[in-house]
Amino acid sequence: MTVALALPSARDEAWRWSDLSALPAFADAEPRGGVVDVHDLWIGCGGPRLLFVDGRFEPALSDIRPLAIGPVAAASAHPLGSLVTGDGWTLELAIDHAPVGTIEILHVGTGGSSHLPARIALGEGAQASIVETYAGEGWANRLTRIDLAPHARLMRAIRLVQHSGFVSTRDEAEIATGASLVTTILGAGGADSRIDAQLESAGPGAFVEFGGALLARGQQRHEAAVAVRHAAPGGSSRQLWRAVADDRATVSLAARVEVARDAQQTDGEQSLRGLLLKRAATVNLKPELEIFADDVKCAHGATVGELDRQALFYLESRGLLPAQARALLTRAFVADALDRIGEERAREVFADAAAQWLDASPLPTGEGGPRRETVGG
Amino acid sequence: MLQISNLHAEVDGKQILKGLDLAVNAGEVHAIMGPNGAGKSTLAYVLAGRPGYEVTDGTLNFLNFDLAELAPHERAANGLFLGFQYPVEIPGVSNLQFLREALNAQRRGRGEEPLSGAEFLKLARAQAASLGLDPEMLKRPVNVGFSGGEKKRAEMVQMGIIDPKLAILDETDSGLDIDALKAVGAGINTIMRRPDKAVLLITHYQRLLDYVQPDFVHVLAGGRIVRSGGAELAHELEREGYGAIAA
Repeated sequence: MTVALALPSARDEAWRWSDLSALPAFADAEPRGGVVDVHDLWIGCGGPRLLFVDGRFEPALSDIRPLAIGPVAAASAHPLGSLVTGDGWTLELAIDHAPVGTIEILHVGTGGSSHLPARIALGEGAQASIVETYAGEGWANRLTRIDLAPHARLMRAIRLVQHSGFVSTRDEAEIATGASLVTTILGAGGADSRIDAQLESAGPGAFVEFGGALLARGQQRHEAAVAVRHAAPGGSSRQLWRAVADDRATVSLAARVEVARDAQQTDGEQSLRGLLLKRAATVNLKPELEIFADDVKCAHGATVGELDRQALFYLESRGLLPAQARALLTRAFVADALDRIGEERAREVFADAAAQWLDASPLPTGEGGPRRETVGG
Repeated sequence: MLQISNLHAEVDGKQILKGLDLAVNAGEVHAIMGPNGAGKSTLAYVLAGRPGYEVTDGTLNFLNFDLAELAPHERAANGLFLGFQYPVEIPGVSNLQFLREALNAQRRGRGEEPLSGAEFLKLARAQAASLGLDPEMLKRPVNVGFSGGEKKRAEMVQMGIIDPKLAILDETDSGLDIDALKAVGAGINTIMRRPDKAVLLITHYQRLLDYVQPDFVHVLAGGRIVRSGGAELAHELEREGYGAIAA
């Protein structure tokens, strides 16, 4: 599929850390196609499963049950989200729906670009859990429109394990009175990413959580730009992100909370933490608060650092190899971001994906390794 | 077991140890006492290989290894254990996970089979119970939220699980109440009072030595051992102070 690309430039504040320079080439390229082996990519949650290869639905390998494939009621003014047109998937559930189980959606790319819209609409009191995985290569561009009626609950977990290419996701959500949206993202592959979300806490007492762990090495770049807007009183939001950058990689997190004048007693929390595994790596953190109400509680913290040298020495003095000690501390660093995944099987698979990524990190031997830097002098 | 000859070491370019000699044989408990700033903790860290603690002269021989040639984890795998004065808190890493990985890394380093989860759990529970530490605490993150006494008991549980040949215990008695002191003292005796093991007890005060009887007591001052003797030397120090003895 070829699309006319009008991409934002780095001069635009919301895109200042982005590098979209690879996207035109993906847009011009065709997918390789051919047989894809997806067997190991299913998590096995027991619910419906949808497979998209290069953005095309594969009915033979899917179990669609309450979801629908076809035109999607979603449109966006967002620079990347607006590129998404055509057929996609829709999940509409009312409270009296039959038990569905955790829905698994697998996106596999073979090159080129794919643009796929989705819509999730949960009726009053309805509940759903969705786990999405991005694998393969190429550029996967997604727009997801989410509408949660009062007291609906949606849990989402998104795993980025594409070995190369680019994944861009744009979520636009409206969360009504007492409804809850929890989204957890793990970036543990080799692709670059841009995670983008605009989430509106529209009714009193709504709960919004959006965060995760982004791991990058080599020249890789991950970026998340998430805005939560509290438009109604008594809402809570939580943005907990953990960024790990190795080699010359860059992870950038922009997390924004807006509290409208009427949104009294909003409880907002932001925790952005970055870990640099090499001195040449970069973590950018931008916590933003814009508060117009006067009775709110908004806590935010942003820190970037290296692995604690004392902790490393403590672990090594007990016999752990330096690489093991580093992996253990790094795993601990990202653990609380992944603990938010409600579905146990998915939580284990995500934790394993993070551990595998960390185990693949080569043992630092050059001057960049923190342990060496304290020696000598 | 351990031979230290003419050890000179510096920290951040500052000379702390200035020609220290010490020999520890299997089956012996040595106490190193001395005033603040004498270099006691530096000696412990140099032996364990802490980055930034640099040997500038002399030799460190442990079980016929040149310690200076070994990384901290290799020293551990060869049987050296450092009990920390200030055990480090590690959020997000459970004691069980950490200790199992540590023990199995050491076992692999020695060419032994790693312990299974069940075998390890049994060992860890038994060690915790014998030191009066609630085994449930082993599920918690390493040292996080532990009181001073609990941290030191946890260090002894680690020592019991790892079962080293030489334990260097740096101010293990600091921050302990009398019950914890008794428990830690009994733990040291149970785990380390063996013909094939040795202990280097680094302490400021005599009180731990009421529970762990040393064979030798050394006074460290100004970066060197200035006097050595038997257990009675500790009592003399307690009576007369370091000033008189170290002078």
